[in-house]
Amino acid sequence: MRMRLPAGVFYQTYKQDQALWPTTFVKLRMWGLLVFLFLIFPQMASPYWLSLANLVGYTILSAMGVQLLIGYTGQVTLGHAAFIATGAYTAAVLVLQYHVPYPLAFLAAMIVAGLWSVLFGLPSARVKGFYLIMTTVAAQFITVDFIITQYVSRIGERGHSFSLPPGTLSIGPWVIQSDRDIYYLMIVLVTLSVLAMTNLARTRVGRAWMAIRDHDIAAEALGIPIVRYKLLAFFMAGVFGGMAGAFWIANVFAVSPEHFTWSWSLWLVGVLLIGGLGSNYGTIFGSLFMTLVMEALRNVVTWMAPFFPSLETSFLFIKEAAFGLAIILFLLYEPNGLAYRWWQIKNYIHLWPFSYE
Amino acid sequence: MEFFLQLVLTGIMVGSIYALVALGWALIYKCSGVLNLAMGELTLIGAYVSLTFYEWGLPFPAALAATLAIGAVLGMLTERLFLRRLIGEPVLTVIMVTVGLSFFFRGIIELIWGTDLRVFHPPVFPQEPIRLGTLVINQVYLWSFLASLAMLGALVAFFRYTRWGLAMQAMADDEMAAMALGISPKFVYAAAWALAFMAAGVGGSLLGNINGVNIAVGYLGLLVLPAVVLGGLNSIPGAIVGGLIIGVLQNLAGGYLDRFTPGGVKDIFPLAVMTLVLLVKPYGLFGWVRIERV
Repeated sequence: MRMRLPAGVFYQTYKQDQALWPTTFVKLRMWGLLVFLFLIFPQMASPYWLSLANLVGYTILSAMGVQLLIGYTGQVTLGHAAFIATGAYTAAVLVLQYHVPYPLAFLAAMIVAGLWSVLFGLPSARVKGFYLIMTTVAAQFITVDFIITQYVSRIGERGHSFSLPPGTLSIGPWVIQSDRDIYYLMIVLVTLSVLAMTNLARTRVGRAWMAIRDHDIAAEALGIPIVRYKLLAFFMAGVFGGMAGAFWIANVFAVSPEHFTWSWSLWLVGVLLIGGLGSNYGTIFGSLFMTLVMEALRNVVTWMAPFFPSLETSFLFIKEAAFGLAIILFLLYEPNGLAYRWWQIKNYIHLWPFSYE
Repeated sequence: MEFFLQLVLTGIMVGSIYALVALGWALIYKCSGVLNLAMGELTLIGAYVSLTFYEWGLPFPAALAATLAIGAVLGMLTERLFLRRLIGEPVLTVIMVTVGLSFFFRGIIELIWGTDLRVFHPPVFPQEPIRLGTLVINQVYLWSFLASLAMLGALVAFFRYTRWGLAMQAMADDEMAAMALGISPKFVYAAAWALAFMAAGVGGSLLGNINGVNIAVGYLGLLVLPAVVLGGLNSIPGAIVGGLIIGVLQNLAGGYLDRFTPGGVKDIFPLAVMTLVLLVKPYGLFGWVRIERV
């Protein structure tokens, strides 16, 4: 799905051809977006919108690793919450028990989650498809429901050790306490990881991953060491997951295994299917769409609650059912996701008035 | 030794229920190639439907029969509405549709029945345990065991001796040849889903009799995945044997390993076994070894 360029754009050097933002218009647009996200939005938005934005950002960060595995490498994972949990708990334990500075704990969380992910990626050397999915499901239950629930969350005194009141975490002199601080942390992380993902996909590693996704045997015949690249994909996905987890502890008052259930793993895959596989647009659109639609649904339910009092308590169930239905309908009627629709619209505009193909 | 025998016996009894649900799973996979991750929710639906009928005052066998009927209808509806359009789609798409189904079903179940633990009241089976020498068996387990054996027997007989069962076997074996012989794939897929819903329904209502009914029954339904992986995905006897082995292993782990940990070994032990099986013998005990072609 290479983007068509608007009429009248010609490359004269390879440098131009390989530029991240190929035209002046794109450059302006991206800088405008960055200015909006970094300067305008956090100043204008109310705390409600900021916390919503933080949730979108957390979903993007969480889904990034899943996108890498499913969308780029073709290794389906249904247990990514395990690695997010690993990151969150590593960072929380380091900060709370050992008083490690947050940035260092953050890095450690990324590395530990990456290594833990490689451990469960090892079967990918031998099995694929459904069998690999089962391994990742096992990773989810072994990590979160057993190791973290039974052992890690009992470090220190239960109930006290993992509470993180605002102001616990600080980066140098900057103490993270308000929603706006969390927003700045989130937007920096999201920007960096989107940039990292884009560049990974454009370079040797990403191309190797995509070759494995498209046909693993052909990829091996072309000289790509598939086991090494698959494990690298698991490592990087774990690193992204650890990043999401280490960010999450800044966003909550207490870490609990209930934040990282199997439902959350499945939710992330659903987000990607709705957004679209194999592009950053998919990750971002899916996260935006699902978070905002669910929030709109919550508002409708709250609005209707005076008329139907039982609705308020059953919002979670309505949300689950709606999410399930959304996945099914998207897979049946829009299997390429929102990103594909976006790509079509953009091409239509670029090629206008000759937008037939 | 006595402790060991006791654990094995209980394991076999519980395992027979897993075997029943696993059979339903293997049936869908064999006939239509759908890897179903919504099995836990199908079990849950069965448990709640039979509980509701029982609370309305129907005797338990009648409630079970009604569950079977509703299961068959729901199974055919699910196949018709969602799965039929997905024939020939990539694995991920089909799996994620079943994941979507599981979210959808769970949301609906919680909307209708809430999340509190509900028990069959008055208890269906007598409370006092049966003694076999020194071994003690709860009557619930014994009757569940017998009921799942009966259901397993009925299903196996259905496959071996009836026209419809043979048609389903033919379709599982070679889709093209079966179609050339005039077997309708639509019928076979619908029948497979109906049977899976029915098997899961019976399994769910039996599990509900043992521990009461809440969302946790759905988790027990998920244990079919280790069972079918262990037995081999496309093998009916494998599903039965796998279910029994998983039941026994789960109880042994609960009996012997639980004291070394803060708890919870019983729940994840089957999944740990599954990971090991995947590493050593990914096609299971009875599954077909597929040869990859370029």
